[in-house]
Amino acid sequence: MTPVQLEIQLVAVLVAVACALPGTFLVLRRMAMLSDAISHAILPGIVVGFFLTHDLGSPLLIALAALTGVLTVSLVELLHRTRLVREDAAIGLVFPMLFSLGVILIARYAGDVHLDTDAVLLGELAFVPFDRLLAGGLDLGPRAAWVMGGIVLLNTLFITVFYKELKLAAFDAGLAAALGFAPAVLHYALMGLVSVTAVAAFDAVGSILVVALMIGPPATARLLTDRLPWMIGGGVVLGAMSAVGGYGLAHLLDASIAGSMATMVGVLFGLAVLFAPGRGVVAAARRRAAQRWTFAQQMLAVHLLHHEGTPEEADESAVDHLHAHLRWPPGFARQVVHRAEQQGLVIRLGDRLRLTEAGRALARHSVRA
Amino acid sequence: MAIVGPNGAGKTTFIKALLDLVPRAAGQVRIFGAPYAERRHLVAYVPQRGSVDWDFPTNVLDVVMMGLYGRLGWFRRPGRAERAQAMQALDQVGMTAFATRQISQLSGGQQQRVFLARALVQDAQIYLMDEPFQGVDATTERAIIELLRTLRAQGKTVLVVHHDLQTVPEYFDQVMLLNVYKIASGPVENVFTEDNLRLTYGGRVGFLRTRPKVEG
Repeated sequence: MTPVQLEIQLVAVLVAVACALPGTFLVLRRMAMLSDAISHAILPGIVVGFFLTHDLGSPLLIALAALTGVLTVSLVELLHRTRLVREDAAIGLVFPMLFSLGVILIARYAGDVHLDTDAVLLGELAFVPFDRLLAGGLDLGPRAAWVMGGIVLLNTLFITVFYKELKLAAFDAGLAAALGFAPAVLHYALMGLVSVTAVAAFDAVGSILVVALMIGPPATARLLTDRLPWMIGGGVVLGAMSAVGGYGLAHLLDASIAGSMATMVGVLFGLAVLFAPGRGVVAAARRRAAQRWTFAQQMLAVHLLHHEGTPEEADESAVDHLHAHLRWPPGFARQVVHRAEQQGLVIRLGDRLRLTEAGRALARHSVRA
Repeated sequence: MAIVGPNGAGKTTFIKALLDLVPRAAGQVRIFGAPYAERRHLVAYVPQRGSVDWDFPTNVLDVVMMGLYGRLGWFRRPGRAERAQAMQALDQVGMTAFATRQISQLSGGQQQRVFLARALVQDAQIYLMDEPFQGVDATTERAIIELLRTLRAQGKTVLVVHHDLQTVPEYFDQVMLLNVYKIASGPVENVFTEDNLRLTYGGRVGFLRTRPKVEG
């Protein structure tokens, strides 16, 4: 692997980690769509910042765009608080307005500079290694790596320091307020971080991938664990896996790197939906199947116990007639009997079934329950 | 003390206004002579069960420890002492066995008891409870009553938003009747009269005729 390829992957992993950290709390607060809104609505901030600085990586531009992000959240909140529209509608109203403002600004004043809507939406990871950070003639590597590394540090610091407060505010904002933890301030701080992360990342990966990396990996991690620290860590790891895996995929298909990474995010989420232990589709189907067999065996045991020692026992316990008594398809009845034998619930005497002690216990337990 | 009134009377809003959670139209809240912001540690709040996301990735013990966050303040993390306090509170509501249980696996009554434990660890003087009896099983209802009695014996004040008029005289000493405005408040035997209830509920208090002994 060449140094350039390594650098691209390094930046991609840093972006993924930076996004997963605040993304976890967006997912927990059911505000996933807000990341979409912010990553688009920061466009006018980026444009104005670019006019002022003529440099897409300038800290002033990042700060300005982040302010636009916080402004988006405030506008949404303001609109929502009038109680005239719901929150999702408020988001849908605010961000296209700000985004289109940015599009108009670009079209009107920035036609001849390197800033177009494609670049904002899709980014170009492949160009990342060409923008180097130089200090006194020394090449310190791609500048995006330093910017994103800084964002990772910032996000990690924020979440570590305010972990307890963020958790409480996400779970029960009412209690957080009653205890004096100013959940609104925390909320805006978090939204500020989301904005800063989105601005810093969009240049490299585009705002679509920012949304994918903020929401996808934490949502996947949520399916795999019930513990918040694991969910945060899982989001980080899954994000990094999507970044590296997506890069490989892009290489293989000769396709857009950002697009392939977003696809990997989706693939990992799909795998988790299917195979997550306990709550995945497969686990749920197996549980249902297991319940079906258990229930059938209980039925069988209760049936046999019910007729034990009665005149019609011979008929009721005949293996070949069971399906008629229990109204099961013959094939199903055979399978149930087979399983019940294997588990030592019944034994076969000639053509008749007898309950074992374990089978009797199960039957009594089933009837009582 | 029970706070009763019809739906939409503003019972929850009243509690939230006491806690500075919603802006007040007028008036001041004084708790032992000072504004709420200076008396937070003396007040514990049990919100309605449905107000939080029970799918949140955390366990019972963790939720109970959240009650201690106020005393810990910013930055400090809960440690062994907090864990022990939380376990003790869980014991008081009969939920010790559920300490490490994922909160999404709790029944409604168990959720309510977790919320009560979370208020208990705050060791407050005033407890504000919003509909703790709503949709809970008999075990939980008994546990809550038991708890209310214990708290009263310790000289604490408990304000409970309540909707079951029949149990008011049995469970509470004081009652406040609320329907947008305060209709009446005071000791149950003086205030909980058919006339006051009719003022509060607008004549829909048929059950009182079958239980005339309630009239004081």
